[in-house]
Amino acid sequence: MSSLTSTAWKNRKSPLIFALLVVCAAAAQDTPLRVPSNAVAGAPATVGTSGSGAATFYLVGPAVSLKRDVDLGKEVALSSKELQSAGRYTAVLCSSSCSSENFFVSPGKPVDLAFVVHPSRVPVGENAAISGVALTLDEYRNLVLAPSSVQFQWSTKGAPAMSHSAQARDGIAWFRTSSGKSAGPLQISAALSNDVNTRRVVQEVASIPCNLRIQGQRTPKGVLVETEPVRDCSGNPVPDGTVVTFTAKDSGGTSFVDAPVKQDVARAIILAKGSVVISAASGVAMGNELRIGGKE
Amino acid sequence: MCARVASYPQKLKLHLSVLIVLSWCMIATPWRHAFAADASPRVTLTVSQATPRQVEPLTQNAVLRDYKFAWANLAQALESNSAGAINGLFVGDASAQLVAQVNGQKKNGLSSRYENQTHKLEAVFYSPEGDILELHDTAEYDFEILDGGKSIHSEHAIVHYVVLMTPGADRWVVRQLQAVPRF
Repeated sequence: MSSLTSTAWKNRKSPLIFALLVVCAAAAQDTPLRVPSNAVAGAPATVGTSGSGAATFYLVGPAVSLKRDVDLGKEVALSSKELQSAGRYTAVLCSSSCSSENFFVSPGKPVDLAFVVHPSRVPVGENAAISGVALTLDEYRNLVLAPSSVQFQWSTKGAPAMSHSAQARDGIAWFRTSSGKSAGPLQISAALSNDVNTRRVVQEVASIPCNLRIQGQRTPKGVLVETEPVRDCSGNPVPDGTVVTFTAKDSGGTSFVDAPVKQDVARAIILAKGSVVISAASGVAMGNELRIGGKE
Repeated sequence: MCARVASYPQKLKLHLSVLIVLSWCMIATPWRHAFAADASPRVTLTVSQATPRQVEPLTQNAVLRDYKFAWANLAQALESNSAGAINGLFVGDASAQLVAQVNGQKKNGLSSRYENQTHKLEAVFYSPEGDILELHDTAEYDFEILDGGKSIHSEHAIVHYVVLMTPGADRWVVRQLQAVPRF
């Protein structure tokens, strides 16, 4: 700076530049604030001041707006509570005039994970049906933007656990996977290298019915028809309430009866006196045809 | 007596000067308000870098609309020291931080202004289920801190924010608004 001013002074051809340099040099020397250069959220820090006499110190940033009387020349202590939030802070010092400096507080180390998993229930055998997003957070719930490794793991009872390692980028790591073969709770966890672990559960349920088979017999009230235990293509019993539609064709025409699955089986009584052909369907699955002869 | 009576050319000069000053005031005042205190933030959004899911056009419109409202509300809350303006578009940690800032300002007689806002938003992550959106915002605004109405700090700031938004019942809400030195 001084060499530049002296050069400008020697040349004396650019008085404006010289004046600007002098002003800049004066401004640089008179900055009475020294803000922290590597502040971390939740860690106390100090702001240095120069000069002498009384002044008012202000700090404005995320979650904080404070005003404090200070003595110039002494350091202003900022508590851990005042610097809990990561972000941009403005420190202002006013005595006869005001001067200010901005500084950043960076997030601390990741000690928490916000973990969102979808869906809460999923049919078995669905491709790329389950996804999870983990957000890396520090002690004060600031998003930790520095890269960190997140280990996702998922397992069902009686099956080996599967895992996927992802690098959090801008505080976010994610995974996607297919649902398994058997119904039951799927335990999913996201873990940081420092043993921070968050668990979620996705209920894997049977998929749509597969291979319907029906049987029936004539009773005094009509034809009692019922399915064999209704299962999906992986052999999981379908949930109660799954609707099976029975279709009956006789000389009088076609009639339909909807029956919910209860304890793996759907039952219905079809009012038909003559010979009748009964079939069943649920979703895209069709059952066998059943012929029952007429009886008085 | 003669000294107090202005001559005709002098009177004409006086009238012309008054006319020019008045005209300048009439022309300049609306423009000054239009540019010096534009309360409505200007927001643009780029979604080409968003992964793993593409941001749907309707979502883009909603995010633009709600982020703009969020910053307008933020500016209003911090200028008027009223936390009520924050409700609705800021939730969770973002809301708690702003409420704490407003309360701190109110307690110390401070207020702050965010004027002439321009936000260049870039979506960088959109979750597979469409329930988490992370954005980078390069914001530019005139920032002023006031103590009892007296300005103690003013600057034209360019600030980078990492933003997390999630869908609410009828809008996208800001969950995290974290300023960073650079992306």
